[in-house]
This record gives sequence, structure tokens and C-alpha cells, in this order.
Amino acid sequence: MAEFTITKSTLDDIAIVSLHGFLDAHTASQFEQTLGEVINQGMHKIIVNFAELEYISSAGLGVFMVFIEGVRAKNGDIKLAEMQPRVFTVFDLLGFPMLFEIYEQQQDAIAKFGSNA
Amino acid sequence: MNNSRMPLPSLVRMHNMEQRNPYRYELTIPSDLSALVSTRTFVESSIASCGFPDTVVQQIVLAVDEACSNVIRHGYANTNDATLKLLIETTDKGVTISIIDSAKPFNPLQVQAPDMQEYFRTFQHGGLGVHLIRRIMDSIEYIPSSSSHPENELRLVKLLPVLPS
Repeated sequence: MAEFTITKSTLDDIAIVSLHGFLDAHTASQFEQTLGEVINQGMHKIIVNFAELEYISSAGLGVFMVFIEGVRAKNGDIKLAEMQPRVFTVFDLLGFPMLFEIYEQQQDAIAKFGSNA
Repeated sequence: MNNSRMPLPSLVRMHNMEQRNPYRYELTIPSDLSALVSTRTFVESSIASCGFPDTVVQQIVLAVDEACSNVIRHGYANTNDATLKLLIETTDKGVTISIIDSAKPFNPLQVQAPDMQEYFRTFQHGGLGVHLIRRIMDSIEYIPSSSSHPENELRLVKLLPVLPS
């Protein structure tokens, strides 16, 4: 398996970005580039699915900080879904649940975007 | 005072009985972020039998990843033709991990701990690796290179929880 891969899909005006493998200082630039491309295509409602992400370090968390202000300024958001406990722990250690909505199920994140429409 | 007849919790008794010498593990990696994967595997396998819960093992692995990332990115400025050495010593008290490099000194202890509420309010980024290391490890010591000590050394310590006797 590759160290880190990303798959993308869309559901109406929502972009779903799914992460697989290890997101660290080596692979964070790949994620930053992909998320930047999604936003540059005009998508501002973004769900990042973590179901198959095995590991994250601060470089990965930093990518969310790069884009969150911009997408919220355009009435969008980056919502996070389906984290494994070891990944959630890292977000939690740094207090990221203060800034980001984190859902156990992707469906709940989709519904939250829908309710804001 | 004679404690010898007092019953002890099983974990403490196991530690007291072991009285083992330190185990030492060593790994040299290139100053390249692609080496972080194998570094994490090395740290995890070295400390696996120390007695830390899995969640703590994972956090120690993360702290070492953050420390090595900082040396590669800030110390070596992403030049990938140098090396870092990791020394891990495990005892019945816990683990000490030394990260040794020949880069420009980068003292993580000089990085100010962020106020996370302010950090999020103003949408800052960067600087979280050192904050994570501080949150995870029990002690952090930095010895910059000098004429008597030609390499920089960052020493991270995590102690096993002491159970009440």
C-alpha cells in the first residue's frame, strides 16, 4: 500500500476528501495541494473522511488551519468525519474540537451541511 | 519500617522483581522526511514491551516523529544528505529517547507554547509539533552542540505510571 493516498468525490455541492494511510510531515504537502485544488474549483463545503487514515502528526493538522479561514469566509466549512481513536487523540490533544466539527459518521456531516443550506 | 510483608499490586511487583538492566536500541536515519515511517516503526517496536498502554505508546511515537521532523525541517533545512541518530533506552522506570544530530542547533524548548484559544481565534498555523511533544512527554532536555559536545541532543523522557503500594 502506498504511504498516503487521497480519493475525492462530490455529493451535490459537497466535496468529500477521503484520506488513506499516514499523514505526516512527508505527506502533508500532498494533502495541502489536493485540498487547495478542491477549494480553487469553487468547492467550499468539504468533508474530510478519516476512516482509512492510520496516523496523523501536527503537519497534517496544520493543513486544516491553512484553509479553514478561507472556506468559512465563503460560507463553507471543513467538517471531519469517521476518525479512528488514535487519530482523534491527536486532534483532541491540541484542542482542535474547539474549531472543527468532528462527526462519527460521514452521513451526519452531510446532514449538517444540508441543514445549513 | 518493614514493607517486605505488605502485598503489592501486581504491576509494581513485576517491576520490582524484574530489576532488569536497561535495554538500548539505536537507529540512524537520513535527514529526509520519507524516513519518518520507518522511524515510527522502530520507536513503536522498541518500546512495545515497556508496559505503557497502547495509547501512550502511540503518543510517544508521535512525539519522536515531531522531534525528528523539526530537526529535518528546521535544523537541516530539508537537506537530505545528513543523518540523525535515535537512541532509545528502556528501563523498569520508563523510556528515554535521544535524538542526536549535527544540524544547526534548533532548541524546541525556545518555541513558546501557544495559547490554543488565541491560536484558533486568529487562524494561526505551524508550531504545533513542539506543543504536542510537551503535552506527551514527562521531561524534555536540549543540549546544543558545543566544543565539548559536537552534536545536538534532544532527550525525551516518559515515565511509567507509579502505582500506589
